[in-house]
Amino acid sequence: MTQAAQLVQNHRMTDSPSPLSAQPAETAPLQLRPPRFRVERRAITLWTLHAVIGMIVVEGGLFLTYVLWSASRPWLTPILWILGVIYVVNITVMPTWRYYVHRWETTDEAVYSLKGWLTREWRITPLSRIQSIDTVKGPLQQILKLATVKVTTASREGGITLDGLDAEVAAELTQRLTHITQITPGDAT
Amino acid sequence: MSAGGRANAGEAPPEGVAALPAEPPWTRLDIRVVWVDAVMVVLSFIPTVLVWWVFDIDFDDGSFGIWPALVTTTLGVTGAVGDLVRWMKTWYRVTDERIELRSGWLTRKYRSVPRDRIRSVDTTAKPRHRVAGLRVVHISSGEAQLSFKLDAVTKQTAEELRRELLIGGTAGIAASEEDAASEETPAPGRDETPIAELNWRWIWYNLINIWAFIVAALLLWGLFWLLQIFNIDLRDLIAKVIDWEALGQTWSIVVAIGGTFLIGVAGLAFGFVNENWNFQLVRTTTEKGTALLTRQGLFDTREVFRDDRRLRGIHLSQPLFWRWIGLTETEVVSTGLGHRASNGEPASSILPRAPIGEVLRVAALVLPDGVRPLEAPLLAHPQSALYRRFVSTVVGLAGWAGLLYWMDVTGAVPSWTWLSLLALIPFGLVFSVIGYRALGHAIVGPYLVLRSGVSRLSTLALQRPAVIGWSMQESLLQRALGLVNVGVATAAGARHYKALDLSPAQAVALIHQTAPGLIDDFLEPLEDLSSANVASEEIGPDVLREDGSVGNDPTAFLSPSSTRRDIAREGAPDES
Repeated sequence: MTQAAQLVQNHRMTDSPSPLSAQPAETAPLQLRPPRFRVERRAITLWTLHAVIGMIVVEGGLFLTYVLWSASRPWLTPILWILGVIYVVNITVMPTWRYYVHRWETTDEAVYSLKGWLTREWRITPLSRIQSIDTVKGPLQQILKLATVKVTTASREGGITLDGLDAEVAAELTQRLTHITQITPGDAT
Repeated sequence: MSAGGRANAGEAPPEGVAALPAEPPWTRLDIRVVWVDAVMVVLSFIPTVLVWWVFDIDFDDGSFGIWPALVTTTLGVTGAVGDLVRWMKTWYRVTDERIELRSGWLTRKYRSVPRDRIRSVDTTAKPRHRVAGLRVVHISSGEAQLSFKLDAVTKQTAEELRRELLIGGTAGIAASEEDAASEETPAPGRDETPIAELNWRWIWYNLINIWAFIVAALLLWGLFWLLQIFNIDLRDLIAKVIDWEALGQTWSIVVAIGGTFLIGVAGLAFGFVNENWNFQLVRTTTEKGTALLTRQGLFDTREVFRDDRRLRGIHLSQPLFWRWIGLTETEVVSTGLGHRASNGEPASSILPRAPIGEVLRVAALVLPDGVRPLEAPLLAHPQSALYRRFVSTVVGLAGWAGLLYWMDVTGAVPSWTWLSLLALIPFGLVFSVIGYRALGHAIVGPYLVLRSGVSRLSTLALQRPAVIGWSMQESLLQRALGLVNVGVATAAGARHYKALDLSPAQAVALIHQTAPGLIDDFLEPLEDLSSANVASEEIGPDVLREDGSVGNDPTAFLSPSSTRRDIAREGAPDES
């Protein structure tokens, strides 16, 4: 019944004029292929460093509390251990796993990215809807010659952040996206 | 900048003349604001005067003496003086390109918004504004917050501003129509199609509400202090009417709760009548198209225009416990109608709570193309979505119960805490089924329809071209069960909507049909439905090898052979 409803709707859609383009009836099930390009291998170093800094700040702070305030020890001990295990996994497993998941791609119509490790997220943003394109380089990224490209739209959730790109690739990509976005007729939303 | 503005302001006509020449001067809010303030000062002395001379109450009388009256007077005078300072320090102007506002006494503020960003201009009026012929103008540019609030200008200036900003330079038409417009009736000559009017039976849908008790508490609290002004204690007054001793404890509680509830319901009824008196939803014609217009209000009147060019869809919300009577809240999904800090409902709300049948009739008239997307059959989501809810419920509740059990063993919490969590599991399973049955999605003509929600069944019909970005998420449990969430970003309404727990094939079909052509480059045939996720994990490197491009080659994405529609072709041909 649901299949039938799907077909009916597909047919109805071919009749109705769509502002984007005519919609052919889809019969074969499709899937998204992963985006074409991996991020830089140096990104593993960057993510590891971020995780280590995070652990030093949080575990260090808690350990200082543990040492200075003896009354907190009964309940702080299990928290320290659990957080410790989480951080060890985060430092050893997360960066490499991320590297094997993270991918990105741009065509002259859209930006496409895949991110995450335990949970994964695919994002697609049409170039015609892009409002601004930024390149961001933090201190660690500058040392590693990496950069983050941020693409924003009228909705915060519609944007894409590509991190772990080579700084030069990022600069070139930003320039190109800016150029294409300007010549792509966008619509004021 | 500030000095220049002020010098300019000095040359400006001191009173609120809505003159809009080529280089417009800075304008103050209307002078009548000051007269209203003066009247408010006089009025705020009334309680003290009454109490002092008429009732002859001194500082030592009763529980609080003359103090409540004095506090009322002080608050009134301070408010009026503050408002006078605000009037003195507020300047605004509308140029050809932008609207500017300077305000503030201790903190100076300057704000400028380009005129083409302005999405809505609404007016409201409190009784004191209506007596003085004033209107509060709310100007919004579609940001989360209101861009400007002009409190207040004359009714005529407000109407001119609305026309000027939304339609552009038609002050002449505004003036001709101005005198004919009266308070609650529509301006004659405006072309209007009625869509809905208030049905008094809807009042029942707006009274059944847990807020009754909160409203009652606020009302009793207000009444208590109002009577304190005249040195009467509400508690004594109630004790004279009801003999608590004779009733006994049980009946006292019953009478107290029942009485409070009745007071609350009465308060809500008054609120409903006050807010929705003479409610009308019409489609009105403006110079540059059409707009949805609501008019409502007994004492505080409210008119909200919603430009049809910015209309992107409709969102319905049905609270779980009143779903059986079809109670529905209706909102338009529109760009530029932010969550405004105006009185009453958000501007996106186009109907009071009403039965679903009426809402569907209105929705069909509001959406201009007659497609009726909200009534179309929806596609069911895979049954594993139900299992996911079962697993989350049981694991979540059992996990917390386990933690509390451990704390029970160590003596930190009593044992009923974890036992009651375990007892919640059956209810959680029922809610899982409700949540699963709510799931649905469809593509209906030009609309994308999404439905989900447990405590509120939320149904969205959004125009496909209004979608400005897609996302697809997958947690570990979802990956194991073959499910994904699809996120839809849009510039309208809540800016982000989600379709929960689709099969990967459904998700891709949904994205593909919402934006035909856009993701063609990213698609490939799905070989095996059940192993969809495994496949997408494993083919990654193969695809790369087939294309002959290596992921880390920084220029790979620039070469024309790497993608069918490569950006280099249009971007910079010299790269190849």
